[in-house]
Order: sequence, then structure tokens, then C-alpha cells
Amino acid sequence: MRGRWPAGQKGARKSENIPSAVDTKTMHPTCLIRTLLVALALLFTTSSAFAQDVEALVNALPEGGYSDREKVIFDLAATGDERVAGLLDALGEGDLYVREEDGRVVAGKRAGRDYALTDALTGEELGTAPSSALEKIRVNNRLRRAVRSAIGQLTLMSPSPPVRLRAARSLLRNADPDSLELLGTALAAETDPQVKKMMETARAAIIIKTDAGIEEKAAAIDLLAARGDREALAMLTGAHSSAAPELQPVIERGIAGIERKLAMWDGLQNVWYGLSLGSVLLLAAIGLAITFGVMGVINMAHGEIVMLGAYTTFAVQQVIRTSFPGLFDYSLAIALPLAFLVTALVGIAIERGIIRWLYGRPLETLLATWGLSLFLQQTVRTIFGPNNREVGNPSWMSGAFDLAGLSITWNRLWIIVFALVVFAVLLAVLNRTPLGLQMRAVTQNRRMASSMGIRTPWVDAMTFGLGSGIAGMAGVALSQIDNVSPNLGQSYIIDSFMVVVFGGVGNLWGTLVGALTLGVANKFLEPYAGAVLAKIFILVFIILFIQRRPRGLFALKGRAVDA
Amino acid sequence: MITRTLLRAFDGKTSLVVAILITIAIAVPASNLYLPVGHPLRVPNHFVPLLGKYLTYAMLALALDLVWGYCGILSLGHGAFFALGGYAMGMYLMRQIGDRGVYANPILPDFMVFLNYQELPWFWYGFDMFWFAAIMVVLVPGLLAFVFGWFAFRSRVTGVYLSIITQAMTYALLLAFFRNDMGFGGNNGLTDFKDILGAPLQAGSTRAALFAASAIALALSFIVCSAIVRSKLGKVLVAVRDAESRTRFLGYRVDNYKLFAFTASAVIAGIAGALYVPQVGIINPGEFAPANSIEIVIWTAVGGRGTLVGPIVGAVLVNAGKSWFTGVFPEFWLFALGGLFVAVTLFLPKGIVGALAQGWTALKARRVSARAEDGSDAAPEPSPAE
Amino acid sequence: MDQNHPPLLYLDGVSVSFDGFKAINNLSLIVQHGELQAIIGPNGAGKTTMMDIITGKTRPDEGEVFFAGDVDLTRLDEAAIAELGIGRKFQKPTVFESHTVWDNLELALKKPRDVFSAWFYHPSEEDVGRLEDILATIRLTERREELAANLSHGQKQWLEIGMLLAQDPKLLLVDEPVAGMTDAETVETAKLLREIAKSRSVVVVEHDMSFIRDLAARVTVLAEGSVLAQGSLDHVSADPRVIESYLGR
Repeated sequence: MRGRWPAGQKGARKSENIPSAVDTKTMHPTCLIRTLLVALALLFTTSSAFAQDVEALVNALPEGGYSDREKVIFDLAATGDERVAGLLDALGEGDLYVREEDGRVVAGKRAGRDYALTDALTGEELGTAPSSALEKIRVNNRLRRAVRSAIGQLTLMSPSPPVRLRAARSLLRNADPDSLELLGTALAAETDPQVKKMMETARAAIIIKTDAGIEEKAAAIDLLAARGDREALAMLTGAHSSAAPELQPVIERGIAGIERKLAMWDGLQNVWYGLSLGSVLLLAAIGLAITFGVMGVINMAHGEIVMLGAYTTFAVQQVIRTSFPGLFDYSLAIALPLAFLVTALVGIAIERGIIRWLYGRPLETLLATWGLSLFLQQTVRTIFGPNNREVGNPSWMSGAFDLAGLSITWNRLWIIVFALVVFAVLLAVLNRTPLGLQMRAVTQNRRMASSMGIRTPWVDAMTFGLGSGIAGMAGVALSQIDNVSPNLGQSYIIDSFMVVVFGGVGNLWGTLVGALTLGVANKFLEPYAGAVLAKIFILVFIILFIQRRPRGLFALKGRAVDA
Repeated sequence: MITRTLLRAFDGKTSLVVAILITIAIAVPASNLYLPVGHPLRVPNHFVPLLGKYLTYAMLALALDLVWGYCGILSLGHGAFFALGGYAMGMYLMRQIGDRGVYANPILPDFMVFLNYQELPWFWYGFDMFWFAAIMVVLVPGLLAFVFGWFAFRSRVTGVYLSIITQAMTYALLLAFFRNDMGFGGNNGLTDFKDILGAPLQAGSTRAALFAASAIALALSFIVCSAIVRSKLGKVLVAVRDAESRTRFLGYRVDNYKLFAFTASAVIAGIAGALYVPQVGIINPGEFAPANSIEIVIWTAVGGRGTLVGPIVGAVLVNAGKSWFTGVFPEFWLFALGGLFVAVTLFLPKGIVGALAQGWTALKARRVSARAEDGSDAAPEPSPAE
Repeated sequence: MDQNHPPLLYLDGVSVSFDGFKAINNLSLIVQHGELQAIIGPNGAGKTTMMDIITGKTRPDEGEVFFAGDVDLTRLDEAAIAELGIGRKFQKPTVFESHTVWDNLELALKKPRDVFSAWFYHPSEEDVGRLEDILATIRLTERREELAANLSHGQKQWLEIGMLLAQDPKLLLVDEPVAGMTDAETVETAKLLREIAKSRSVVVVEHDMSFIRDLAARVTVLAEGSVLAQGSLDHVSADPRVIESYLGR
């Protein structure tokens, strides 16, 4: 067993949005945009005569020389037909072909040895064809420029604001000076404030590249600085070296402003990551706060109980996958009570079988439960195998969204919410239910509680079951962000103890504050020190902290905590 | 005064244990070197370093027993002191490789060349000399234990809190030594050693000498521990274990006593680690794993804590069992080990030696009382009530 | 305070509170050289807390605690205070159960307390003689090789008093020495304490009134963390406030 802790075991966490059974079916983003465009096109194309006109133009594309083709491109753009954008895109990429058997204009993408064909305009799938059956519609640089500006015109003038916004954003990225004129026209006609702002920013990005006047450039710089993201920062940094000396301070001021803003967002993002890590720690530690904090029992098998919860989730998903695939999105809702039940029963069995014989001997309890943890690990390894098992994210746990400058993944958000809910429910159980009352009574004065008619052994078993059940639910949550393997528990046990000891034994609020503080501190140290060193700093900090306050941040008097 | 203390250490039991260890130190190497291959009494080649490894583990368990069994400090980080001693020895062995490494760099060990080190880090200076490495083997674990203990004991961190922070200590070291830029070979640790004090490590005579050195080191540690626990110092340590605050009110500075025991124990563990490394041929960060440190505790618990022979018996028995299990039923070793933890704490809290000693005392007491009752020398019949 | 003959122990205006509860409230107390003083008071009057303060276990929030005139006890820890010559017997008898009676006394014997002196300590003949005397005094000579765990409750109390004697303190603080003792043992204990008080100061905390009468000591009554009355037992038992708060009507 020597050397059982693998190298960098913490580094190998599942990435945030690993493709699961659900999101493998979702499409590539550009594909998505295209589908969207087609859908929009269908919405806006009402006249079939109009459509015919477009089709005629498309069929005219392969004919004649480059200059003829340029004219057709502008004619196509002039139709204002939304479907044309996709077609022109394909043309610019050199993906348009003429099918030799019927002269139809198609878009072709390499698929193995052959090409997968779609209708150039509608996107309808047309099967595959070998390259010998296709003739490429050739484009040169001039045509490519024409295509770009045609697309710009088509999209910047589109009646749909989202399309215009997207066009403006892509212009901002390219900052192609050729588009300046077009942008000016579009800007004059623009009414939507959001789109207008984006267009102005795009124009500013272009202006600082041109040889416009100082005044105009300074205004453009200010506009970009106001945008305040990494893109704007890159643009300003790029412009800095070549800018006129008068403009240099303006740019520097702009860069400094953006950097300040970015630093703030970075800070917020770190807080978010820290809260997310903290909520994971809270989940892992909260069951321990009951068994260790309230009962004074050192349960080294706590991590393994978390692991059992995660494996319960896996088992539930296996059943759902094979028998009820439609229920997959509810798998966590099913696994949660089940995991609670399974682990609570295991916990009660542990308490009745082992721990109750060792009350008042905390060091022995520590050893016996450590042995138990080895036992549980090996049991799971024998049943489920030593490798990571795949636990999928339901659709509502996948993906991410942007909140202002922050990128927030759904699974992390749900886990924070879940951790807080569990915490609140636990507080309520302890403070508002008869079991909670009895638990507190037993903690404060066991003999007295017993002589008042409280069945202390029963309360012990229930308390331990409750703590274990919560650990099991934590396992369900952790299965969503971490590898489910027999070693899952080991990676949390030390952290959990650190949280409980730091927060103060016997105090749930201390556990909450401890978990979040350690999580945030860890994430703030990481950029400066790296993940491993940050962890070491935290451990050393806690070791020193315990010297100062041996009873943690919020110390309460508990039973038999110290030997 | 010191000689008298040492003499007191040699009571009957200690002399017996030391005599056995010295016999082993001579007999095992002799049988391996001088008996012909195939002789029934010959210790096979691969057995010599294996037995030597057990002896270093026994020394480690003895060190832990000094703090846990006699002073009540359950350290879950003793593997760290063992590993630090091992690393100090490993660094010496690394520098002995010289230009025989894969990259043939006369100064830099292979992993440093591989990681693009331009020059030797400062903390590797001096490790080309054996005496320096030997001092470090004692100094580094001792200093860590002293500093750690000074902080912990002075602020009266006790019981499971202390156990948990010792575990955090070894965990932090584990993470640190995994890092490549720590300069200790990262993940792979230190290995591919060639020779020690000019003698090739692969040679049978070197292995025999290392075995003998381990047995003698264990005997010396046993004498030192015996000298400690049989003196008034040892009585104070037990007093601290049983009633810490009462000891304070008697005027003893409990922190100093704990610090002494903790540091002495760490030094013994460090020496054990230094003897371990040349016999197994590798030291890597895995030795810092918290699981390893807890395993040491179980060796001590199985043998019997609070006795000096117990940890030696426990370490040898558990590790022999481990070697056997991992050879025959590799999947079941963790079941066995886990079961051992539970069984020992529930049913054999005093360990094998403790239980035997208790049985012996009970038997004697029964004889005495039986003699007193019927005034005869006849051995009493075991009564059903007992 | 008389500068030429300062009292052995001097507490002035001492207060300490735990979580808002005032365990000791403006307590002032003086113990003279060679004095036997009994302290009585209802539960929660602060008797044990007062001992904790004197022996350095608890730090007072305010007030002065001086030993032998100018040693500020509030700045010292338990071990230092014990080495100064203040011995304490706990309410619950605490002896070292896995040591023999003899070893318990040897540990308590007044000797250098540092680690290395302890390691290389060998009892001199004088030490052995002294321990044997103490054994005789506490009547445990027969059981010297017995583990302390095997002693009866009363014997443990006596062993603890024996340990105090071995410590050779200037001041003994004795918390409920006769709890759990038979009447005969109680009488013996009173005799023993009177004997001890001839050569040093003794402060006894006790509930047992007949025992205190046997001691024939000056009595201090504590209530709610401060001194309620002081004087002979007859004097304080006549005090209406004492009757009110402690002795009962």
C-alpha cells in the first residue's frame, strides 16, 4: 500500500464541461450559427418569386470570369436574402462546388475520401460525392474581399438586430479598414442602442488602425477603453507602438483603465472559484461537523462514505441508462434520497458495530475508522473496479453562462446552492426538531440526558446516521465535478478535517465560514503560487492557526473532543 | 551519572532483546555469505534486504511508540521524519553516482540534467560527503520535529487535534516533494544508486553489512529508549500521558518533556529512514503519504504500545504478513489491513505483547493467591468462573 | 500591607469571568505564613476558580496576586508556580494510576524538574529515607509497590496529600480532601493537615463542617465570587448573611 497516493491526484479533476452523453449530441457552434441563419432566412423570405430570383443568381455564380462573378456576388447581396450570407461564407472559404451531373451549386465539406454535400442556399443534405464529380467555384483575393464586404452589407443591414450585432462584433474582431465606409452607412441607419454601441466600438477599432486625425483617434481610444475587455486591451496594446507621440499617453491611460477593470473582474472570478471550492469543502465537511463536531467522534472513513454516495449515483444512472433513458435528467433527484438512505444505514451500522465500543477513546476511534476506510475502499474496488466510473451531468447541470464579466458553470452554481440548502436544512434539523434537541442535550450532558429518559444510544446512532447521510448526499454532488473512483474519499478527508478544525469544532457556522474562507484563500493564492504550493500554504497556515487558537475560529464546548 | 542511567537500561529484558538483535546481526549475514547456495539454513540473497527493511520498520515503530505509547502523542506524521532521513541518505547516494549516470554529468544527478538545472541547488552542497549526510539524517528530522513540536506543545495542542495537524504536516510535505522544482527529483524521487562508502550496493557483502547495521541501529535505539523509559524521565512521560495537567501542577514543564520525546523519536525515525533507503534502492514522495504514517501506528498497536518489544514484534509481523499477502492474495491485503485496525482497537487494545504480559501477570497473581489460600505449592485448577 | 513581613499569599481585587459569568468578583484574600485557613462556600462560589488563579491555570481579568511579597503569580505558568512552592490537591483525586505508589511520590519529590536532570536522576539515600517517611505518614508503606490505580478512594486522597508533602511546598492548596472518606479517615486527615500546617501554610476548601471544626482553622466564607465573612467557625456560623447564603435556615 506504500505510495498509494498518486502524483498530483488533485490535478486530475474532471474539467468543467466534459462532454457527457447529453452534450455529445449538441452541435459545433459554427454549425449552430448556420442553422440559425437558415431558420432566420426562412422567416424573412416570404416571396417565392424573390426566392426564385435568388436561385437564378446562385445558378449564375459558376458562369463567366471573376468580374462576372463579382457582379453576381453584389447582386446576391442586394437581394437582402438572409440565406445568402451562409452561401457567401462558403464561397469565401472555397467550399462551393458545381455538381457535374446536374449543374447544381452545392456546398461541400470533406468527409473522409468524399465530400458531404448540402444545398448551397437551403442547407438541405444532398449525400456525398467524390471529388471527381464536383467542380470548384474558384475565388481570388479580389473576390474574397467582395464576398466579405457583401456579407458585411448583408448582415449589417439585416432587419434582425441579433444578426447585425453579430456582424458588428465580427467587424470589431477583424477591424478591416475596408469595412469602414459600410460601417458608417450602417451606423447612420442603426436604431437599436446595443447594436449601435457595438458598431461604434467596431468603428473605433478600425479608426485607430487608419490614418485618421488625432482628435478622432483619441475619441476612438476612449471608446475602446470604455469597453474594457481583453480584446480592447489587445487592440490598444497593438496600437501603442505605432501611435503618434501625442496619442501615446491617451492609449496608456486607456490600457491602465482596462487593466484595473480586468483585475477587478479577475478578483471576482477568483471569489467565484473560491466560493465554488468552498462549497465543495463545505459539503464534504458538513457531515464531519456533525460526527466530529457534535459527537466528538473522529471518523476517518468519512471520505469513504462520501465515495459511497457518489457510487450510489453511478448505480442509479446505470439503471436509468439501461432501463429508463428518459429519466436521465431526474437521475440526481432519484440518487439523492437513495444515497442519503444507503450511507445513513452504513453510518448507523458503523456506529453500532464499532464506534460505540470506543466512546471516550478518540485516538482508538481514529484508528478503527481508518481501518474501516481501507475496507470500504477495497470493497468498492472489488465491486466496481479500480478505475474512474463515468457519472453524467444531467442537461441542467451542463454548460455555462456569462454574468457580466464572469463565466459561470451550471454545475458549480448548483453545487453552491445545494451546499447552502443542505447547510440550512441541517441547521433547522438541529435547532427545530426533537431529534436535534435530543442531540444537543446528549452533547451537553450525556448522563443528565439519559436520566431524563432520552435513549442516548439511539440518539448516538441517529446522529451518526445523519452525519453519514449528509456525507452521502455530498457524494452525489461531488460525482458531478470529480472523478468517481475508490480514492475519491481520500482526497477530501484531510481537507474536511482542516475545515472543521479551522472553523471550530461543534459549531456549524464555523464550518460554513471555515469552508468558504479556505476555498477563497486557496483560489486567491493559486495565481501567485500555483495550485500545489497554494495548498501547502493553506496547510501550513492552519497548522500555525491551530497553535494560536486550538479550538478553531468559533470555539464551543463539546463533549470528549480532546483526549 | 550517565553510565548509571545506561546500566539501568540493561535490565533482564533489554539485555535479552539486545542479545537477540546482535545474534541476528551476525547470523543472517554470515549464513548468507558463508553457507553454500542451496543449504537449508542459508538466508537467500533477496531475503537479506527484505529482512533489513523489516528491521528499519521496527525501528520506526519503536520511535513512534516512544511518543505514542509512553507520552500519549499520537503522531500521524512519523512517516515524514522517516522519509526526510531517507532523502538525506538518498542525496548522498545520488552524489556518489557521479558521472556514471545516464547523462554522465559529474556533478548534477540525472533528474537535474533532465530538468535543465544549470548548477547544483545550494541545499545539495555537502551531500557528497558521508559524514555530512549522516549529520543531516539526524539534524533535518530532529529540527523539523523540534520546531513543529515547540509550536504545537507550547500552545497546548493535544489529542486528536495534534494527530490531525501532524497528518497535515506530512501531507504538506508530500505535496511539496511531488513538485519538480523542489529539487528532490519530484515524482520519481531518488533512485539508481550505485554505491555507498565506495562499496557497490548490489554486492552481497554490502547488503549483509547494511543488514547488520540495521540490526545494530535497532539494538542501540532499543537501549536508548529503554534508558529513557526506565528513568524518572520516562515516568514523567507516562505521567504526562495519563494526567497532563496534574504533571504541570507538580512543577514539570510538560511542553519540554513532550518536545524531548518527540524530537528524540523523530531522530530515531530519521536514522531508520536512512538505513531503509540503501536497502530498497529508492526514496520517493510516496513515503510522505499520510496512509503510510497511519500504517506505522498499526504496527505499534498490533505489537503493543507502551512496551518496547511490542512495536518491534508488530512491525515485523505486520510487514511479513503484508509481504505474504501481496504475494498470494494481492486484492485481500487492504481487507486484512483494514480488519486488523478494527480488530486490534476493539479486541486487543494492549497489543500482542501487552496481552501476553497481562496474561502472565494474571497467571502469577492467581498462583500467588492460590498459594495463599490453600497454603500449598500446587498449581491451581483453572476455575470455570474465570 | 506590612512591607517587612509580607503575607505568603496576597490577592487583591481579583475578578475573572467566563462568557459573561463572573466566577470571581473583586476577591481579596490574605494567607499568612504558617497559617491554616479553611474556605467554605456554596457551589459556584468560586472556590475552585480561586485555586485555578493561584496555581496559574486561569488568568484573572483584573486584580493582583502576589506570592511571598513580590512574586506576581499572574505572570507565571503552572509549572513555575509549582516550583515556587505552591502545591495543589485536586477535588477529584488525581494520582498517576499506571505508576506505583512509590513512583508517584518520587515524581513529586522536590528535585530539579528539567528533562535531563530527570533522565539522569538516581535517588540518593536521603531521598529514599524521605520517601519512606512520607509513606509512613500517609500509611501506605505496605502498598508501596502497588499500582496507584488499585488503591481505594481514601488511599488515593492520602497518596495525593503525600505527593504534596514530597513536593515540600510553602503553601498547600487542598481541595475537598475528605470527600468520600470514612469518619475515622476524616479525623485522621484533619490531624495530618494540622500537623502539616505547623511548618507551612495550608488552605483547605471543604464542605464538611465537622471536619472544619476538627481543623480549628480561621474560616473564610466565599459567595458569588467574593468574601462574605471571615473569622472563627463559630463567628461565621453566627453571621446572618452566611446563614442566608450557605448554611441554610
